[in-house]
Amino acid sequence: MTEFTSNESLTIDIADDGAVVVHGDIDMAGGPILEAVLRPREGTDAVLIDLADVSFIDSSGLRSLLDAARRAHARGTEVVLRSVGPEVSRLLEITGTSEQFRIDGRRD
Amino acid sequence: MTDVHATDTALSGPVEIRVPADPAMSRVLRLAASGVASLCGFSVDEIEEIKIAVSEVLIALIEHGAGHHVDVSFVVEQGSFTVLGDTEVHEFDLDHPDLRLCRTVLAEVCTDHTIELIDEHARISAVLRRPFKAA
Repeated sequence: MTEFTSNESLTIDIADDGAVVVHGDIDMAGGPILEAVLRPREGTDAVLIDLADVSFIDSSGLRSLLDAARRAHARGTEVVLRSVGPEVSRLLEITGTSEQFRIDGRRD
Repeated sequence: MTDVHATDTALSGPVEIRVPADPAMSRVLRLAASGVASLCGFSVDEIEEIKIAVSEVLIALIEHGAGHHVDVSFVVEQGSFTVLGDTEVHEFDLDHPDLRLCRTVLAEVCTDHTIELIDEHARISAVLRRPFKAA
């Protein structure tokens, strides 16, 4: 796994299978970092984002994921969220945005 | 040895913090809120809800405000934790899609929340009262 970028509360790696692996908080400061990692990797294939190690997400962080999903849909593909934890699940449920993503596994 | 137990404690006054209107301050204030809430006996699950409320208040004020700083207060009373935020604004569109998303989350997490526009300032009050909705 290669460490891609980080700030004091967020680290993003690229896994061997190409997944963008997010560790830490996806918030107002972390969302733009995630977007900067995602954009150059967006092509014809689905974008795989591993959220197993996400400890916090707010509506600003969710917007980064939703923007990626919108761009993916425009390209005829999708964003896959892997190992979605309760923090992310709850926010998707509250905002009614789960259908914007394909969910590949949840964690407790 | 003294055995110390967390108790449900109100504070005698608000905790008031002024921070730069910088996204990095969101985490700083979440940590501060966690500390205050823990001191006052809120549970881990309740603290997670408080952190979400703090973050959403700051998103609204930093992303949609125009001030150089944001004033945030935490008010703890018996069974409730209130997050108050204030910053200068020029235009503050409550129907902006990003702000609507923020308000949706606040409405879900908080018992009450209000956003007021007064004298070119946006003031947000987010109240979490026991029993918390999801904790």
